[in-house]
Amino acid sequence: MTSRRDLLAALVALAATPAMAREPTPFPGLDPAAVKRMGEAWRAAHPDIALRKLEARLFPGGRGKAALPRLREQAAADFRRGAVFVYRGWRLSDTEGALFALLSLEA
Amino acid sequence: MAIIDARTLPNASRIEADLVIIGGGMAGITLAKELAGGPLKVALLESGGLEIDMEVQALYAGSAVQKAPGQPDRPFDDYPIQSRVRALGGSGLVWGGKCAPLDPADFAKRPWIAHSGWPITRQQMQPYYDRACDLLEIPRFPLEMVRPTEPERQPLALDPADGFFPAPREFSKFSGGADKTAFDRFRTDFAQAPNITVYLHANVTRIRREADRITGLDVGCLSGQRHTAIAQRYVLAVGGIENVRLLLASDNLGNRYDLVGRFFQGHVTYSNDGDAETEGSAVAIARKTPMDLYAPSKRMAAYCVIGADLSAQQRLKTGNFTATLFKATFSGPETKVGADTRTIGKTTAQDGDGQLLGYFAMAEHFPHPESRVTLDPEHKDPLDMPRVRLTWTYAAKDHDDLVRSVEGLSDALGASGEGRMCWSIPRGQLLAISSASRHHMGTTRMHADPRKGVVDADLRLHEARNLYVAGSSVFPTSGIANPTLTILALVMRLADHLKHETGAAR
Repeated sequence: MTSRRDLLAALVALAATPAMAREPTPFPGLDPAAVKRMGEAWRAAHPDIALRKLEARLFPGGRGKAALPRLREQAAADFRRGAVFVYRGWRLSDTEGALFALLSLEA
Repeated sequence: MAIIDARTLPNASRIEADLVIIGGGMAGITLAKELAGGPLKVALLESGGLEIDMEVQALYAGSAVQKAPGQPDRPFDDYPIQSRVRALGGSGLVWGGKCAPLDPADFAKRPWIAHSGWPITRQQMQPYYDRACDLLEIPRFPLEMVRPTEPERQPLALDPADGFFPAPREFSKFSGGADKTAFDRFRTDFAQAPNITVYLHANVTRIRREADRITGLDVGCLSGQRHTAIAQRYVLAVGGIENVRLLLASDNLGNRYDLVGRFFQGHVTYSNDGDAETEGSAVAIARKTPMDLYAPSKRMAAYCVIGADLSAQQRLKTGNFTATLFKATFSGPETKVGADTRTIGKTTAQDGDGQLLGYFAMAEHFPHPESRVTLDPEHKDPLDMPRVRLTWTYAAKDHDDLVRSVEGLSDALGASGEGRMCWSIPRGQLLAISSASRHHMGTTRMHADPRKGVVDADLRLHEARNLYVAGSSVFPTSGIANPTLTILALVMRLADHLKHETGAAR
């Protein structure tokens, strides 16, 4: 059973359910402004990636719980190959940055 | 036998012994303890008295500067006088008691690090480390760490292939900073032995040599008396800067190949607080279970730093590196930085809330021939000894490797899902932001080849058959660990050598 608060669960669960993004509190437990800032920072470094392309990249097999292990593996692989997103000194995986970007766009 | 104030001796007294130890710090005291009760008559000469005296302390005064490529020089003139203590017990009087062995990697020849490699291995040092631990009454450090059983002391589950490991630290009570009463016993009890005499306020101002033998020492007191000390053998143990000063002031003793004083290495820590733009040096830990193994709540409790082993260093082409975690306060959630930090913390957390900790980084200061102690003949102390000049120099590789090591650990934490790290110190501010420890290493480095080292693997001066050097000045490379335990372990080894050489072991 995957915890919603697992490494990427908080991000994936939100991204996996677009309806949640339209709720009054789109980022339960997270600061919406912070998510937006991080998402915009990632998009600023990747100006050519649009919403659809981003979604296809993160969820090639569609959204849902099945996507979680793959995303987690992808995040780990990012760190291994140096595909990182540095935000205010925090060293995050590029996949995390992309998820923040998707969340901020969908919000 | 006794503790004698050299100022009370008749002028021009002659101190005679089988062995004279110059310096009553942790190294000199440990050697005297090892020889106490044995057949060798030992005289220990200490510059200071039983307590810190600013007039004596002022003998350390000199000038110092830190340098790094592309960064402004950092004046550091107070450092020589503030970083050591001139009294019986030496800097042990202000030491916090932290003990750790050097890592196996520190002893290894690492082709990507110039001048690396010791003439002894970590494995060969193990019995001496064990004895040093026993003397300091702390648990031993086995070569393979025993995994703790307590749930709150479980190590981070990093991939072993990444090469980051929990490197243990222990605390001894025998330090002025931990238990002054216990330390007072530690630094004086050996003088009860019938073969030991300690002379206080006895400053060695010159080592006299004829060919390859030391023939005697000039000893001066600040009160004006002048004495001599004569022995079959001598051990110089007055610290990483003062060892150099005395050798150079003694007609360049040991300096045939211009090595004495070069390769000075120091330890510094790097960390920063948060500001309006960044959180500073912080780590978001994914687990919510206590991190007592790394950041214990209790002061002076045993703990671990996260170290980089030989495989990590080889992979990243870096030197030794550690991150020390600690409980800290962070930016408030009402600030942008604080909100960002909390959001990253929540998305990092594995099960419920994770935790935020501060950390400071340390990176090995690589041996650099221009990082050096020299004499300032224009300025002399009241005993007519030239003052010192310390030029503490970094190469670009030092700071390049520090940053690469932080990134390497960040990636290892991220790949394992154990956490995320924040590092926000601008490259050009690393020198200015660093905080120096009182560890002086490398200035009389150990090497089998006299063209590459001042002392041999037995700590004997290449140029003199009966003078040995003890202390961290003999370290070829400096690692990260607090040097005291290694100093003591090397002294144990030296004591065995001296006992064997003199027949005292029989």
